[in-house]
Amino acid sequence: MGSYRQQPGSGKGDQRRDGKRVAGKQVFPPPGSGGSDPEMRPRDLDFIPETVGGREPKPAGDHIHDRDRTGTTVGKPMALVDSNAKVTGQAWYGDDVRLQGEAIGKILRSPHHYARIKSIDTTRVEALPGVLAVATGEDAPNRFGVLPVTKDEHAMAVDKVRHVGDLVACVAAVDEATAIQALSLFDIEWELLEPVFDPKKGLEDHDEPIHWRGKYHLARTNVQKRVFQEFGDRSLVKAPHAASHGSWTMAGVHHGFTEPHAVVAHWDPNGRLQLYTPQQVPHYTHRALSTVLDVPMHQINVVRTFVGGGFGGKSDPFPHEMCAAILARKAGVPIRITFDREEVYWINRGRHPSHIDVKMTADNEGRISGFDIDALIDGGGFASFGHVTSYYNGVLATAPYELGSFHYTGARVWTNKPASGAMRGHGAVNTRCAVEVGLDEMAEQMAVDPIDLRLANLLPPHSRTISGFRITSNGMREALTRVREGSDWDNKFRQLPLGKGIGIGCGFFISGSGLPIHWDPKNFPHATVHIQVDMDGGVTVHTGAADIGQGSTTAVAQVVAEVLALPVEMIHVRSHESDTSPVDLGSYSSRVTFMNANAAIRAAIGIRDQLLKAAWEMLGYHPNVLVLNDRRIYYKHDPAVGVSYLQALHKAQEDTGALIARGAYRSPPMGGVHKGAAAGLAPAYSFSAYVAEVDVDVETGKVSCTNVWAAHDCGKALNPLAVQGQIIGSCHMGLGQVLSEKMVYGRTGHLQNANLLDYKIPSVHEMPHVEPIIVESSDPEGPFGAKEAGEGPLLPILPAVVNAVYDATGIRMRDLPLTPDVVYKGIEKHLKKIGLDDPLDLETPTLTHGPLQQQLVERAKEHEVRDRLRQRSEDTSAYVNGVLFGFDPNRPLSEQVEGWREADEPLPEQLAELGFAGRAWLKKEQRHMEDDA
Amino acid sequence: MLMPPFELHHPKTVEEACKLAANLIDEGHSFDWVAGGTDVLPNYKWRINPKPHVISLASIPDAFVLSSTEIGCMVTLDTLVATEDAHPLLRQAAAKVASSLIRKSATVGGNLCLDTRCFWYNQSEDWRRSIDWCHKADCGTGADCRVIPNQNTLCVATYQGDLAPNFMVLNASVLIVGPNGERTVDVASFYQLDGMKKNILEEGEFLLKVMLPKDAAKREGCYQKLRVRESWDFPEAGIAASWIPGESDTLQIASTALESIPKEHSEQITQHLKDNNGAIDVKTMAVSIQKSVKPVNNTALPPRYRRSMVKTLTKRALMGIMKEN
Repeated sequence: MGSYRQQPGSGKGDQRRDGKRVAGKQVFPPPGSGGSDPEMRPRDLDFIPETVGGREPKPAGDHIHDRDRTGTTVGKPMALVDSNAKVTGQAWYGDDVRLQGEAIGKILRSPHHYARIKSIDTTRVEALPGVLAVATGEDAPNRFGVLPVTKDEHAMAVDKVRHVGDLVACVAAVDEATAIQALSLFDIEWELLEPVFDPKKGLEDHDEPIHWRGKYHLARTNVQKRVFQEFGDRSLVKAPHAASHGSWTMAGVHHGFTEPHAVVAHWDPNGRLQLYTPQQVPHYTHRALSTVLDVPMHQINVVRTFVGGGFGGKSDPFPHEMCAAILARKAGVPIRITFDREEVYWINRGRHPSHIDVKMTADNEGRISGFDIDALIDGGGFASFGHVTSYYNGVLATAPYELGSFHYTGARVWTNKPASGAMRGHGAVNTRCAVEVGLDEMAEQMAVDPIDLRLANLLPPHSRTISGFRITSNGMREALTRVREGSDWDNKFRQLPLGKGIGIGCGFFISGSGLPIHWDPKNFPHATVHIQVDMDGGVTVHTGAADIGQGSTTAVAQVVAEVLALPVEMIHVRSHESDTSPVDLGSYSSRVTFMNANAAIRAAIGIRDQLLKAAWEMLGYHPNVLVLNDRRIYYKHDPAVGVSYLQALHKAQEDTGALIARGAYRSPPMGGVHKGAAAGLAPAYSFSAYVAEVDVDVETGKVSCTNVWAAHDCGKALNPLAVQGQIIGSCHMGLGQVLSEKMVYGRTGHLQNANLLDYKIPSVHEMPHVEPIIVESSDPEGPFGAKEAGEGPLLPILPAVVNAVYDATGIRMRDLPLTPDVVYKGIEKHLKKIGLDDPLDLETPTLTHGPLQQQLVERAKEHEVRDRLRQRSEDTSAYVNGVLFGFDPNRPLSEQVEGWREADEPLPEQLAELGFAGRAWLKKEQRHMEDDA
Repeated sequence: MLMPPFELHHPKTVEEACKLAANLIDEGHSFDWVAGGTDVLPNYKWRINPKPHVISLASIPDAFVLSSTEIGCMVTLDTLVATEDAHPLLRQAAAKVASSLIRKSATVGGNLCLDTRCFWYNQSEDWRRSIDWCHKADCGTGADCRVIPNQNTLCVATYQGDLAPNFMVLNASVLIVGPNGERTVDVASFYQLDGMKKNILEEGEFLLKVMLPKDAAKREGCYQKLRVRESWDFPEAGIAASWIPGESDTLQIASTALESIPKEHSEQITQHLKDNNGAIDVKTMAVSIQKSVKPVNNTALPPRYRRSMVKTLTKRALMGIMKEN
């Protein structure tokens, strides 16, 4: 074998033939890029798209990044670049940071659900030997919060505590034992207030609402946010051919990440704050610290440590981060605060406990004429991301199906519990479950296969949802088809014996929030990446993207390696410090791969162009006819005519020094103009379909999920191994929510299971066999076609399991999680209803296809052709939700049908018929009450 | 989480342990015994009744005996599972305790003497302060029971050990030693109906070993455990049954995780055999066991459900032992 060498020269420097040093000359070999693999590897045509001369199939058509592919890393399974650090225990998580002279901070937490602090006397605390500093709410009166519209948090309670475990004060001491002892020495005078635990009660007026929003406060209720959205022709839902109405109760769940919160704060000798924290969104912490501490942002360096799992639970700026900084400033030494597991549950930010009511209808052609969703969500004591969650619970149900009409009322209420927030699949998970189960129920009424019902009602690629979201790539149909085949669905559904069941569920999720939270998209990009290449040839990438275990660092390294045709080992990603990283908006809303990798590709192209220009000068061939492959640039028709990467690099930097380039990403303008139109907007969406098989022990109610076929459309799997990991991990997390996990609030309102024994995350024994199926729809705007794979894959597992439990038992369950007692109760109730005693006598549902079945199958076939043409841009005609109902996509729908509505407030005549959450619309804001008065 | 400070003692013999205990009592010090520590030490970290002195049994060779008829208190559950001489029922039950990792440390003695559990009690100090404490760990406040308020005479925390009912149905007894000598009692008599007192151990006494009668080997047994997950979880209900195959009058059934103590059900069996002329009717037997237990609301699953499951578990345990009969 043998190929063209990568290293210029011999690599031995100036030496005599006998090996001795030349007099007066040091041995200084030119740096090499070859290492132990000095020869260029052949181009890997299997990973170069067929559209640019390779062999990689492109069923979805060509992609704008195809010509940037070099066959180096994209599409190849690889271990995450930081995995060695993790598996050898060398990764430094929050609590691994140890600074010279550090002291320990501890937080005093409220023993009361809801109380006013009349006074705090810290005299005894300060007198305790070993105590270095004490702080209370008075030390930090400035409010903060992750969303600018709902800043309702303080570092420590100011005036009131809002749940058991809320922060009251903090103390720094020489060691943990002293700090713990100090906590018992605070003398506090409390005035107890009447707490609210039931979110339905939160809709009512209260003497002392948990927060007060002044003229915007809704009467005297505890409603933090109410939403109304209505689109389409509501007359379609009258006289439906099939209808499903389900009332769901979904318990709150927690992210259950491995690493508890931990923070170290240190004011350096120049008075700058260095804050070490495992954050998903360091930039928002940076902003909040600046606000709370009254220190300009440039005087704060936020250092993101390795993050031991986040899943949304480490994406708020947190009060304990403020406490550490305040204590460190007072004590003059670095302060470390590490949470116990119980404190992790008390800060919470998990998925909202929800009451969701879903009414769905279908017409006599099996088209979905209406979704009517009412979601009352329990926000706990603070707003967190709840403003967004309130929208997501509705609007993220507007795809992947074409709808005749959509009606949503949502309300988020404050209660005296730990705050809910964003969790993997933010806001979409619970409603998605309710909707997918409703579809199953309607399919049964219409005597059709639920997969065929779905296939005949999908929005096509390059279309617009009823709520105005722009759909680009769409692999939903392929996902459904592949799980159907993989699971042998047609031979199992409604044919398994009692206790065995199979079910389907789909998912739809944003791939990056189109409108950033804290940013003006007109002025700043969503993501920025800087690349620097110095004479050693190593490529240093600066990004603010927070790797929380999802592999964002690897994704960046991969795309840069791909564009520059360099081994991924030569790419060094620096992403930990706000001092050196360009601003990135953080790891939330499944935005990082899409936005940050796009920025990285642009930056890498900037470096590549400089290298190609140098090679042009050296070789005389224009870059158009030059090929980049494995550390070498050469004339495409003769690889012998070329230069090594290093030669080109050194030529390029002759006059400029290290090469520098930057790239940025900003999503295009999208969406409607109605209130809330931005919620749920994304530059791309992921689609997924799962089939789950379950065993239900009908005598105990215990449900075991045994097999899952999980198809997820991630656009393009940059790293298939990582995508498979996300799919399997999502199954695990979703199974926890559907089968065993819940935050239990007892009769006194206390969180009863704030530990990992009683909060029941599935163990390895509960894990089914998961068959991950990657669908690649090649998103036109995604990096190399990629979309998200971190959150969307969680959604379908819940409804797939719930539908499978129905298939196994013939009983619809709508209380999550389906713990054995819940399932058994459902079985008992059903037995009583049908007059049976023994659950073993239950009959399982059967399916005999009705007349509509064939119609749906034929429609799905037509749509399959339609979708393929649209996906490949062979059909570029307009398509908006409504075409299935006979509307012209080229004219405003409101002009075509009387009664077509796009509304963000209810009509007066609608008020009487609104659901639970909708009742928030019966109340008036204070400013309007004043008007009335 | 910080372990509260305590002095750890390592007696080398049973006599030394008893003497040490007697001395601590004389000096007015309170103490706990510790075997594997998987129950006591997590409770200490939660500041649940920690003591200033802890006596470890890990250095006493007599505590490690293991044969078909004797099992020392320090024998780990993992060892028990792996011991072919041990009764299959015990191996089956031990394999269902907690997780494989915990079974490497957790012991037979510790499982039998397991502290009773309750979600108002197995919480951190901050948490318990927020409910103004409870009867079992009242921190000197005389707090009421939170499970059944307005009574503070009896603690109803639930005993959630897996091994006890299995030892009961094998007619095992325990050897208790202490400063005042040793005594042997049936496993069934070892427990005392109160979630705080739990068992008959007097201050200074500890359970040295469990002894099985020789004919235990003839017994066929089955243990049914109700839990949400197949790992980690304590039983939410557990039913053990055994008999000498074909001899209905040798039937034994015992339950766990339903009340403050594990319970043997000879009374229900006697009545059942009398009503059925010596024959066993699985269904009615199961109903009568179900009726004899009264779980309360202090574990993960609701008491009504746990009670309902007693019928199913009993049925399955009986069918398990009566496979050919």
